[in-house]
Amino acid sequence: MIMTNTTKCTIETRNIDKIYQNGGEDLKVLDNINLKVYEGSFIAILGPSGSGKSTLMNILGCLDVPSRGEYYLDGINVLDANDNELAQIRNQNIGFVFQQFNLLPKMNAIQNVMLPLLYRGISEAECSQKAVDALNRLGLGDRLRHRPQQLSGGQQQRVAIARAIITNPNLVLADEPTGNLDSKSSQEVMKIFHELNRKGHTIVVITHDQEVAEEIGEIIYIRDGKLYEN
Amino acid sequence: MRPSCIVKVGDYLQFKQLIKLILNNIFQNKGRTFLTTLGVIVGTATIFLVVAIGKGAESQVNEQYAQLNVGTIIVSAAQRGPAADPLTEEDATRFLESSNIDYAFPMLRGGGDINYENFSYQGSYSAIYPEFQTVNHLTVYEGRELVEEDETEHNRYAVLGYELANTLTDGNPAEIVGKNVTISRRKFEVIGVYERIGDSSSPMGYDDAALIPYSAAQRYLMGTRTNPTILAQAKDIDSVQSAIQDIQYILDETHRAGGSDQFRIMDAGSSLAAAQESARTLSLLLLSVAVVVLIVSGIGIMNVMFVTVKERTKEIGLLRAIGAKKNEVLSQFLIEAVLISLMGGIVGVIMGFCAMPLLDYFDLPYKASVNGVLLGVTFSTVTGVFFGFYPAWKASGLDPIEALRHE
Ligand SMILES: Nc1ncnc2c1ncn2[C@@H]1O[C@H](COP(=O)(O)OP(=O)(O)OP(=O)(O)O)[C@@H](O)[C@H]1O
Ligand SMILES: [Mg+2]
Repeated sequence: MIMTNTTKCTIETRNIDKIYQNGGEDLKVLDNINLKVYEGSFIAILGPSGSGKSTLMNILGCLDVPSRGEYYLDGINVLDANDNELAQIRNQNIGFVFQQFNLLPKMNAIQNVMLPLLYRGISEAECSQKAVDALNRLGLGDRLRHRPQQLSGGQQQRVAIARAIITNPNLVLADEPTGNLDSKSSQEVMKIFHELNRKGHTIVVITHDQEVAEEIGEIIYIRDGKLYEN
Repeated sequence: MRPSCIVKVGDYLQFKQLIKLILNNIFQNKGRTFLTTLGVIVGTATIFLVVAIGKGAESQVNEQYAQLNVGTIIVSAAQRGPAADPLTEEDATRFLESSNIDYAFPMLRGGGDINYENFSYQGSYSAIYPEFQTVNHLTVYEGRELVEEDETEHNRYAVLGYELANTLTDGNPAEIVGKNVTISRRKFEVIGVYERIGDSSSPMGYDDAALIPYSAAQRYLMGTRTNPTILAQAKDIDSVQSAIQDIQYILDETHRAGGSDQFRIMDAGSSLAAAQESARTLSLLLLSVAVVVLIVSGIGIMNVMFVTVKERTKEIGLLRAIGAKKNEVLSQFLIEAVLISLMGGIVGVIMGFCAMPLLDYFDLPYKASVNGVLLGVTFSTVTGVFFGFYPAWKASGLDPIEALRHE
């Protein structure tokens, strides 16, 4: 196949459905999702609660599989991958940012940030050096050895972002990254996403917050499991 | 593009890092780890001690029978006291007709006071033929042993066991050679002292006995109406059973009235085997108790690991999201269980060593051995692997999304 478009697709889904069986009744949570996210773009997926945002994000993040359809991530046919390959894809191609941060409470900032690299078999010295660099870049140079409880929500989310980008993934997936933050911290986090985007990361932010979405600019709407361009 | 073309699965958490993560976890939950290991500690200490006690019992038995030739057959009256139809010296001579028997000679045992100067000892004497010394591997420490001539001449000679000589001379056994002692108020000259055999509690021990010629005992101590025991020596271990059959046959012939049933025929080999067997049974019994303790402690480990997995469900989800493979999660929890039980095992062995003075206190024979250490540590580790596997497998099989959603 000859590529006519010079911009590559980071995400390409074809006719994805997600159906949950619920007491014998089929519940279609995602309905014929056709989504293309080009490399280097920064988009918001906006929708009300229960519209299927997290379900979509789990599929895009290779944590879940659709009931029907095809999914290509960085050109890889993800649905053909086995469990180990999926783990490898999550490690190398994707960085996750969650609403509840999901930092490990008994580890300090450096230890939390370096985890994805450790699981890639890289030595501790190298991992921790990279973790320190990432934390410095996100303005946490003076909080390197703080544990999550000793950090504010905004700081915790920045540690989580550092963990997401330490492997230098093509795609950063964020599910309600500002959902637990006050407006000042939210703005800081959004600023960081813009910076990461400028450095070339493809970013998908999932939100139900109109303001956050508008700040990002490019918005895809989701309602009852269906995508709308506007 | 197929994922296998692009994704190469070969990057795993370094083993050193894996261990480090696990140790971190273990030491951040010291109290829980300690409680988990308690059962393993007790179980391993028990195994270690049981093996030590078993070895002790075994070596005690072996020591007791060390002086005894396994080919020895002892024929004695089935009932104590004067017998209507006792064994005779002629029976012993008859036994020699069997091609399976090398030696056969009667002996007598008696008790009585043994006096030397102003020392008195409530001891025993054995009236023997000189071959007896060969069969029982008795060698002299001082002086000489009994010889054929002492037998034919009815010499009133005695050779003393080391302990007996030692007691009578108050610690200078050699000095008694050449002196007279009285055995049941009859005078005998001491011509030698035997080398120490070792275990005075030995059933066949002669360390505290006086050995005198058979003929002299008959003439001066017991009279001819005696009830001797006959010691026969089979040609080799394999002929013991045939020798016993020959003895039975001969006794049936010569003692027509009561036949061989009025005598007890015992061979040293089978009583050694029986003693070893009972020592082994004891070990096995104790060992099974220890194994039960370990199984119970293993179930404890399993419970704690399940709680751990539950507590760390969210962490497992996160690790899977950032790219930890199922195997990595499995090995993390499995090795944690194994490390906990291994540590318990090592501490258990140390506790076992510390508990050894207690065995002294109860007078239990024991013998610490490498085997005991290995068995204890191996068993505890196996417990960890066995009971740690299911929780670890459960952990690795968790659905990442549900795990992440877990509170
Ligand atoms: N495992 C499941 N089994 C059955 N139904 C499910 C399951 N997971 C999600 N759903 C349903 O799918 C729908 C979409 O859920 P999803 O979590 O994607 O919503 P969302 O858009 O992320 O909502 P929110 O903004 O509240 O997070 C909901 O109606 C939910 O009940
Ligand atoms: Mg959601």
